[in-house]
Amino acid sequence: MRERFGTSALARFAGSHEGRLLAVTLAVVAGLSVATTGFLTVQNLFDLLTSYAFLGILAAGLLVVLVAGGIDISFTATASVAQYLALSLANAYGLGWTTTFALAVAAGVACGLVNAWLVDTLRVSSIIVTIATLNIFYGLLVFVTGGQYIYALPDWFSAGIFWFETVDAEGVSYGLNLQILLLVAAFALTWLLLNRTTIGRQIYALGGNRDAARRLGFSTRRLTFFVYGYMGLMAGLASLAQAQLAQSVAPTVLVGRELDVLAAVVLGGASLTGGVGSVLGTVLGLVLLAAIQSGLVIVGVSSYWSQLCVGLVILLSVSSTALTLRRRAGRVSA
Amino acid sequence: MNRRELIAGLGAGVAAGVFGLPRFAGAQAAKEMVTVVKIAGIPWFNAVEKGIKKGGGDFGVNASMVGPANVDPAQQVKLLEDLIAKKVSVIGLVPLDVKVCEPVLKRAQAAGIPVITHEGPEQEGRTWNVELIDSVKFGEVQMQRLARDMNEEGEYVAYVGTLTTPLHNKWADAAIAYQKQHYPKMKLAADRFPGADEIDTSYRTTLDVIKAHPNLKGILGFGSNGPIGAGNAVREKRLARKIAVVGTVLPSQAKPLIMDGTIREGFLWNPTEAGYAMVAVAKLVLDGKEIKDGVDIPGLGRAAVDVGGRQIKVDKIMQINKDTVDGLISQGL
Repeated sequence: MRERFGTSALARFAGSHEGRLLAVTLAVVAGLSVATTGFLTVQNLFDLLTSYAFLGILAAGLLVVLVAGGIDISFTATASVAQYLALSLANAYGLGWTTTFALAVAAGVACGLVNAWLVDTLRVSSIIVTIATLNIFYGLLVFVTGGQYIYALPDWFSAGIFWFETVDAEGVSYGLNLQILLLVAAFALTWLLLNRTTIGRQIYALGGNRDAARRLGFSTRRLTFFVYGYMGLMAGLASLAQAQLAQSVAPTVLVGRELDVLAAVVLGGASLTGGVGSVLGTVLGLVLLAAIQSGLVIVGVSSYWSQLCVGLVILLSVSSTALTLRRRAGRVSA
Repeated sequence: MNRRELIAGLGAGVAAGVFGLPRFAGAQAAKEMVTVVKIAGIPWFNAVEKGIKKGGGDFGVNASMVGPANVDPAQQVKLLEDLIAKKVSVIGLVPLDVKVCEPVLKRAQAAGIPVITHEGPEQEGRTWNVELIDSVKFGEVQMQRLARDMNEEGEYVAYVGTLTTPLHNKWADAAIAYQKQHYPKMKLAADRFPGADEIDTSYRTTLDVIKAHPNLKGILGFGSNGPIGAGNAVREKRLARKIAVVGTVLPSQAKPLIMDGTIREGFLWNPTEAGYAMVAVAKLVLDGKEIKDGVDIPGLGRAAVDVGGRQIKVDKIMQINKDTVDGLISQGL
């Protein structure tokens, strides 16, 4: 057995990537809570969940693609298409929540399936395919819309959802909103998919060893369509969360955020070569990024330093994992 | 057509070609001006394009606009190189990165193609830079407005697009310097923040800033999405009475926040006039007119010209408030 046999589950967790990431995250959160009064509050928790929902929902989708051994860069363009289509139709025909969501999701899935078809048919590296489709989706959107922003959204959409509203001492209210609900739903659904379904196990197998998965009789084609379609679904949901938060639809602002999402997922331990990655890791990766970015502002670190700090934390966290893995590999071969 | 007429016609054509007489330019191959902007397809540059087209019609110049699909200085250089190869008569440029564009503009000058820039006061290799605002004054005016709403005291923060966007930072420098000189009771609570080009980044920054500085009384946003994101956050936290938001905005985008008083006032110059002004100046250059202080820019009026510094300024600051916003929106802004 390659692992220390018989150690408790807790010790195993502590040695895993997620365990170490949790430790780093807790250390950062603890540090920030000591240094400031504003960081570790329910208020800030809700604010962070709301502002990072867009990245988080996309991260859940990208995790599934990475686990399956692929990569998708085009999801920001997909999200732009989905939100523009859904909300301009909602404006034009007076649609409600259900139809608007259905439209956004359908547009997202459609874009995802185009990616899947190209990846499956052309057999070229998925990063090339999706860089191409990013430009195609985005180019078409800008061409068709002339880059016009949509400022007037339906009233029910602008008002959003606000459940369990609470008001704090200063009269500032917070509660469960659309962004938080979608974020939680996205992670829960992805967790169920990867851990509780046969398809989930097949996705891990596909990413771990494509040929073995095929010999076992899995339809790699159907799985490819599923994972890119799932990414599209998440892009559709994320797009509405973002539009509701920004209170407008701007076709040009989402593209360019791909790397933030990729950073969170890879920081969370997902492997770019497939087969490895977990929802918990992705959540922690996202929390760590959010805590640093927001914490630096609250602590009062100059904005000129903030990117450097973010980069350093990513580097430290990733290198600690890499070093442990290498040490472990050395022990096995010795 | 008999032979004599033919020869006369040819002679006139040769004469026009040799002397490059401007009045024949329309009849001969029309002068072509292509303007490279920061990014194609966003509302701002659609408005600039409208002005360029109008200027082209008014001045008999074949004027058009191109731009990269995303904000990428390297793609601007590529477009500029193509224009030099095409031998257009004038190049217009709204530079993303002045350093990156410098070598290719020098090549354009060497090829005898004049370069008219906008938003490029520090761009090397230009023939003239045209501004509808004075950068320093533009920053100061917004600080004066913010100070009025803050009763000239208390903490404020400033947002820029990125920490290296030339104009945004120049405005911010001017505004902050003006505050230090005139409003000693006001205080910049933290270094300026980047992200004012994106609504959700400035929204997020604002939520953090409110927590870090509970006594915050003002936000100054340079970069057209900064005041929007800040305004959304301030409105959501119901702090619109306490925190004044002032900055650079597009009228149609800012209307809801202007009308409910979250954004106290917005400032801008008219992008359509900017496009028009670039073509107007190009026309003066093509015609070989002397450009000196007080020169009349057709359609825009008298300009302040710094001949040594290659700057042409027409004072056209546009104020966006409850009274003006609807009129500006009806102009398509």
